[in-house]
Order: sequence, then structure tokens, then C-alpha cells
Amino acid sequence: MAHVSDFLEPSDLQRISNLQVLARQVVEGFTTGMHRSPHKGFSVEFKQHRQYVPGDEIRHIDWRVFARSDRYYIREYEEETNLRGTIILDRSGSMNYGGGKPGQVSKFDYATRLAACLSYLMLQQSDGAGLVTFDTEIRRYIPVRSRVNHLSVIMDELQNGKPGGETDIGEVFHELVHKLHRRGLLIIISDCFGDVNNFLKSLAHFRHAHHEVLVFQIWHPDELAFQFRGWTQFECLERDGVKHLIDPAMLREAYLANLGKFREELTKGCRRHKVDLVPFTTDEPYSKALAAYLSRRLARG
Amino acid sequence: MSFLNIGLLSGAAALSIPIIIHLFHKSRFKVVKWGAMHLLELVLRTNQRRVKIEQWILLAIRCIIPLLLALAMARPLWQGSGSLLGDSKTSTVVLLDNSYSMDASHAGVTTFSKAKDEAQRLIGNLQKNSEVQVVMMGQGGQGLLDSPTYDISRMTQLLGKTSSGSGTARVPAALDFAATTLEKMHEQARQVIMLTDFQRTSFEATEDKLLASSLARMKSQPSAPAVTFWDVGQDVKENIAIESLDFSRLMIGVGQKIQIRANLRNFGDANHRDLKVTLKVDGKDKTTSQITLAPHAKAQVLFTHAFDSAGSHVIEVATESDALAADNSFLASIAVRDRLPVLLVDGAPGATTDDIKSETGYLQIALSPFAAGKVEMSDLLQAKVMSPEALSAKDLTDTQVVVLANVRKLSDEQVKALEEFVKAGGGLLLFPGDRTDTAWWNGALAKLAPLPITVMAGDTKEGSPSVSITGQRFENPALELFNDPRNGTLSEAQIKVWYKMRGTEKTGGPLDPVVLARLDSGDPFLVEKPFGDGRVIACATACDADWSNLPARPSYLPLVQRLCVYLGSNVFPPRNLEVGQQLISFLPVDTVGKKVVLTGPDLIPHDVAVVKKGERGVAEYGPVFTPGLYTLAPPTGTPLHFVFNTDRRESDLTRLSESEVNEMAKAHGVAIVRSFNEYKQLDHTQRYGAELWKWVLWALLGMIFLELFLQQYFARVRGKL
Repeated sequence: MAHVSDFLEPSDLQRISNLQVLARQVVEGFTTGMHRSPHKGFSVEFKQHRQYVPGDEIRHIDWRVFARSDRYYIREYEEETNLRGTIILDRSGSMNYGGGKPGQVSKFDYATRLAACLSYLMLQQSDGAGLVTFDTEIRRYIPVRSRVNHLSVIMDELQNGKPGGETDIGEVFHELVHKLHRRGLLIIISDCFGDVNNFLKSLAHFRHAHHEVLVFQIWHPDELAFQFRGWTQFECLERDGVKHLIDPAMLREAYLANLGKFREELTKGCRRHKVDLVPFTTDEPYSKALAAYLSRRLARG
Repeated sequence: MSFLNIGLLSGAAALSIPIIIHLFHKSRFKVVKWGAMHLLELVLRTNQRRVKIEQWILLAIRCIIPLLLALAMARPLWQGSGSLLGDSKTSTVVLLDNSYSMDASHAGVTTFSKAKDEAQRLIGNLQKNSEVQVVMMGQGGQGLLDSPTYDISRMTQLLGKTSSGSGTARVPAALDFAATTLEKMHEQARQVIMLTDFQRTSFEATEDKLLASSLARMKSQPSAPAVTFWDVGQDVKENIAIESLDFSRLMIGVGQKIQIRANLRNFGDANHRDLKVTLKVDGKDKTTSQITLAPHAKAQVLFTHAFDSAGSHVIEVATESDALAADNSFLASIAVRDRLPVLLVDGAPGATTDDIKSETGYLQIALSPFAAGKVEMSDLLQAKVMSPEALSAKDLTDTQVVVLANVRKLSDEQVKALEEFVKAGGGLLLFPGDRTDTAWWNGALAKLAPLPITVMAGDTKEGSPSVSITGQRFENPALELFNDPRNGTLSEAQIKVWYKMRGTEKTGGPLDPVVLARLDSGDPFLVEKPFGDGRVIACATACDADWSNLPARPSYLPLVQRLCVYLGSNVFPPRNLEVGQQLISFLPVDTVGKKVVLTGPDLIPHDVAVVKKGERGVAEYGPVFTPGLYTLAPPTGTPLHFVFNTDRRESDLTRLSESEVNEMAKAHGVAIVRSFNEYKQLDHTQRYGAELWKWVLWALLGMIFLELFLQQYFARVRGKL
């Protein structure tokens, strides 16, 4: 069953300033009709019996109860999870790009909301959730907890974070590996700008530490289409004083070629390291991210 | 280069607009705070130089566009090397080809009438108060008026009355005439326009040099004219021409049969079977032959005719009409004589005038055998004997040939009269003898005598050696007869005494003495020399039997008869003339002051005055440019016929190809037009220069498209947006 928020664009959700409210809206909307999903899995702690209804899987029928009472009952379990999800949020300057048009969401805002939704979902599912924010270095490290009130800690951090500074993902991630002692699922929300090789090396490092890595790469549509007209001065968001006055139409083709090359390198590198790379544009619904997370979660078993 | 709307050229300042727009755009840039700088910077590093060059190219093109627009609106003119004539009055010479090849008709229109129409249009189109002269090109050029005129309507009218068929077009001569005409003209702006059919024969390679020098002469004039050749020719190939007529006799007497050989030529590709060729005498059909004439072949048709009356007759050989009618017939004026008077001046007369022992005894019999034999037949040659002392200028007026036989000497007046006589076309036959004063021969008579006498050779004594005449092939018409052995031979005569004649240095000219026959001793036997319009023939031996047995030989009669006929056949003044020559007729002295009527091919009678020249009355007319028959009716006697024929070169209607014409024009720096519109366009260009705005506009359009294309190309948009 679809929830109203499924149809909400990020730009509409922009108005919801409270991240927790937003996250609840999104996640509950997303998970409506998916109640069974938390119970799937192998880890079992018996919760209750329930009458069989057609559609239930036959393997879940409790045959002992059937032998006793001649009725079909299903055994339901309380799931216990050992999933430890850490959201690594890029807070570098380049994430601050939001386009010039009104109603457009900046990459950072989008990423923040995504992180909120994810952490809400994870904690909702009794998974452990943690948060790391970084730019040139790690800004905040919130360890993984699965307590429900842990959410407010994460939300606070998300709510107050401001982007700025340069990114050096490679260095930061190498440093981070040492902090994440227990293996788990790492959800990197970033534009992945910077040196591709460094970034891929750091991913390899995560993988080496037996982490599972999911990269949500955030793109702004402008960055993909580069449809600027007329003379434009591009000022760097990360480094002050770096600016270029150009006629973008003249460079579009070359830019797109370069972009394609960058994305291809990234995609190939991620595939090589068995890292899921999920690219997003800021006009896509958050539910896509949630779906991607869940499918990953499922695959993990 | 000049401009019609020079003011609009200031619009070129609009070229600053793209620059301003460029600068304005560059200064009014948007600012974008950009995240993906690492992607952009790489692109910038590798492309900045290229982008800059592309931007400069685009900017240059955008600047050129308003510049071209301003240029087009300013209406630039290309005036070439010369200055523009503008609306100024011109001095125009129109050369109109009226050679008879222009008579060739195509779809019922002759080339000449087409050319005439175009010339009339051209003259009508001249600027007001322009000066004009029309030169007819047949036979080297003749102005339609005596001098150039400002009266254009009169010139147009006159032009309407012209006709073609006058001889051969001599392009260089016509251009020379045009150059001379131009010198007399007044306006600064000058043009020469030649309307011609570009017949190949008129533009042969030999003519090319002459053409170049004529044009160079014209262009070296202080205000050089613009020369335009106007090709009015039509493609007509089929043509049959009668090229010439040959006659079997030198002179025709009444009742004598004459063979007329007509030479026909087919210039076309068609094979003519059963082509009718008709002989007309005095305008009446006499005989018709049918022949086959293959493509590009020549043929001959032979006719025989005998005239039944003396006087001037006209023979015409005509064939069926084709595209070019002018050369389908050939006319000849024939003077038929009932007698040819020969004056024999006897230096050693006998007892009576017909004494065989006299110096001219044999000669007299040989020339008029019927009279001598008292036979009732008429002799063509009528010999009259006279003593040297009695010879006077008056005796020479009614004779054709004078024979001096063994004359010792003549008075200076007599020699002078003889010189006049020969100069005017008479014939003189000289026979020396034992009485001949060699000093006089070599002195007073030297002008007339073909060669001087040096020494007498041989001896009359019995048994002394003799010489004979060398048997050879004779070229002279008088001796041609002896080329056929059936007519007898000259070498059977034995000559015991003869004069040696000293050879003179040959100049190679036409007036050199020619040895007609030689003795086997190597000395000349018969020597001919042209003198004035007449001829003199000298023999090395006497005409009686004292020095040789020639008079007793059968060949003597034909020899002396042929010599006299040859010398007397010269109808003078000639009546078969070429177009461009003058018509001259000698008339009795009593007609002086009177008028004779001359009727030409146009059948319009003209009065010609007879003037006194020497002992004769002379009627002169011409030069004549229209070929055909001219009849002169003297106050007394039968009419005289004069025929003007044209060079048959014009019959070959092959034209220069279009590319050849263009090449020639290019080589000589002459403009070529092919229609009135082309002429008008050329005239407009010469007057106002060539308007370039169309080209500039095309260039502008090209630039706009180029700009669009380059903009797209540089941005590599190509449908990927």
C-alpha cells in the first residue's frame, strides 16, 4: 500500500524542517504493508501464534499445534538482528551545491534527509545505527547503538551540521577504518568528488576490514546535464578564490565526456571491490534509497 | 571599386555591434558556486586554448556579417581597369559583316537580317546625342555614311536598307577602317562593336596576327575604344557553291564552240543526287545537267555553247538553291568577237602588200588563211599590213595586236604610242630580222622588249648547222596546244639564224620576262613580258622564211594564230572583276561628255559620265561591293556586261566553335556577346561597372550559415541537448 510520502518529491519534503518527523513520514510511508519484513530472518525469538490465513507460507505452519488442535497456526518470531549500520555523511563544501532555481534541494540537504530516513528506518527495524560526518577530517563520530532513543542523538547531529571545507575522502576513510572495530554495513552518502583512486583504495580498505559498503552517490541534476547558457563564472565551493569565467556551452561536450569517464571509473572500481554504488539525483524520492538499503539488508540475510 | 550608396557604407560601423555584445555578455556573467570543480578544471586545462580560438573565429565571423551587409547595401561596383562611362555620350562604330556568308538562312531568317536587326536595336539603344558610324565589312570596310553622324534615326534608317552578299569579310582590314573612323570621331567614350558570323575562313591563323595588330593599333589610340565582338552566326552547314568557270578558248568568235567548265563544291554533309546544274546565256536557260555531288566533294560540269552574235554576252551557271543562295550561281562576261584586228608593221615590204616575199607575207596568210585563199569563210584574225613610217597612234586605237616584223627602228613618238597601247592592254609581237637595229632594240625599245639582243647567231649558208625548238611542256596558253603531239610539233622547224638574247637578273616579281620556249642551243626562242595591262612577246628569229623553215611547217599557222589570239584576248578593261574593284569601260572618244546608264544587280539605273583620257572616252564607276551583273548601255552600240564575283572562301560556312571564339576574344582582350541582352548587360557594366551586391549578399548568407554551423560545431551540441 502506497503512502502519501511515496509521491512526495524531496523538494516538497523540504518544508518539513524536523528531520525526525520527516524521517517518520518517509519511512512509515515506505514500510506500510511491509510489516512482515522485520520478522524475516533466521534469528528467532518466539513471539506468538497466529491463525493461518491463505497466503502465508506453509513452512511457517506450526505442525505440532496442528496435531494438537487440528488447526493451522503460524509461529511468529521476534527478530533479533546483529546488523550494525554506520552512515558516513559527507559534509564537504562541494555537497553544498543546490542549483540556482527555487525549490531545488542542495546535495547536502538531500544527503542529510536521506541519512535521517535511513537511521530512522534502521532503528525502527531494531538494527544498530551510527553516524560519521566528515569533510577534511572526521567531524563527528556517533557509535552504533540499537536503542530507539539513539535516534535523537543522530537527529541532533544531522540537524545542526553545516557543510564546508575541502574533501579528502581517501584520508578520512583510512582513518575511519581504525575507529570502526566491529564489522557492519557502511552507508556512505557523498558526491564522491576527489581523487577516484584514493576513494577506491579507501573502499578497498573498508572491504578488507570486512565491512559491507553501500555508496549513495548524490548528484545534482545540473552536474549531470551541465546546461548552463551564457557567460558564467564558476566559483569553487571548497577552495576560496578559485573561479573560472567561461562560456559553458563551448565546454559542455568536453565536460560531459569527462563526467562520463569519472563515473565509469567509479562504477568499475566499486564493482571490483564488491561495493554497491547507487547514484542519486537530488530530485529523486528518498524511497529509492530506502529500497536500496533494504534490498542490501535482505541480501545480507 | 566604387559604391553607389557610399553613405550606407557607414553601416559598416555595425561591425562593432558583435564586439560590444561579446564584451557585454562577458561582463554580465552569472556566478555559479560550483561543486564539481575537479571535473570542470580538467576540461578547462585541456580545452581552454581551443575554446579561445573558436571564440575568436566566431567573433570574427559575427563582425564580418554586419560588414558584408553594409557593403551590400552600399552597392559596390567593380569597374575593372578602365574608367566608367556613366551616362556619357559615346562614339560608336558598328562593324556589320555583310559578306555573302551572312546570307545563309536558318529557318527562313538570314544571318544578315538578324545582324541588321540587332545593329538597329543597338544603335537605337545608344545614349542620346551619341555619334555613330556603321561600317560594312565586305571587302575591307566601307562606311554607311561618308562620315560619322549624330543623327541616329537616319543611321537606323540607312541600316535598314543595307543588304549583304558583298564579298569576303576581311576582319583586320575592317578593324583598321574602324580605327581610322574613330580618329575622326569626337566623343571621349568610344566603342567598337563587330557583328559577325565568326566564319572560320575569316578568322584563320594567318588572319590572327593581323587581327592582333589591328586591335593593338585601335587600343593604342588616345581614348581607346571598348571592343566587342557580337556573334550573330547561325549554324548552317549545308551549302553547295559554284566556285569558278573555266573556258576552253582564249577568245571566242561568232559561231565557235566554247567549252565551259563549271567547278562545283559541296561544303556540307549531305549527298546530293541528281543535282541540277543549268547553263544560262544572256539570262536564258540553255542546257541543264544532272550530277551527283558527294559530301565535301568537288565536281565539274562541262557545257558547250556557240554564240551566234558578236558583242558582250553573259554566261551563268546555276544550281539548285540551298541555305546560302549567293554562291549557287557563277556569272561570267564573255566578249564574243567577229574579228580580231592585227596590225602587221612590215620592215621589209615586198612589191605588193600581199607579196609572199615580203617580211609579213607568210604571217599574213597564216593569220587570215580564208581571206588569202579567197574562201567564203570569215577569219577571226584580220591582218592589216603597214609600213613602219606610216604607223601612228591613231592606227593603234582600233587594233588589238601589233606585230613588228624586221622593223629597223621606229621614231620615239611611235615607240611612245606603242608603249601606251601595250600599257592599256594591247598585245605586241616582236620579230627581229636582218634590218633590225639592235642598238635601237636595246635602247629606245628597251622598255617594251622583253630581253635585249646581244648577237646574231648562225648562218644562212647552205649546209651550215641549224638549231630547232626544244620540245618541252609548255605552260603558256598560247603554246599549250603543242603539248598534244597530234597538234603538230614545233621542233621540226630548222632555224639557221637567230638572235641571242641576254638574260637579265630575275627579281622574282610578276613583271619578270618569262622564256616561253627555247632553242636547243639553249638560247631563248620566245620571251614574254607583261607591260602595263598588256603583254609583249619577242621571238628570236624572223617571221619569214629567210632564216628558218618555220613558216613552211604546219605548226606555223597555229603558232602565230595562238600567239596573236593570246596577245589580243586581253579584254581591256577587264569585264570579269572581283568585288571591291572599279568598273572601267573604254568608249569611243565622241561619247565624251555624255552619260551612260549603268544598271546593277539591284536594277536601279545609274548615270555614269564619260570623261576623256588620252584618245578615248572612259566611264568609271565604283568601287563596286555588291556582286552580280552590271550592264553598261553606251549611247551607241550594244550594251557591255560587267560581272563582279566574290571570293568563294565565304562559301565554307563552318564557324568557329563557341570555345574557340571565347579563346580568341580572351587572347585579344575583346568582349564577346551573343544576344542583345548580353550586350545590354555588358554595356551596363562598362557604363556603371559590375554590381557586386549580389555576390556580397551571397557571401553574407554564407557567413550566416557558417556562423550557425560553427557555433553548433564548436559547442558539439549536435542533438545531444
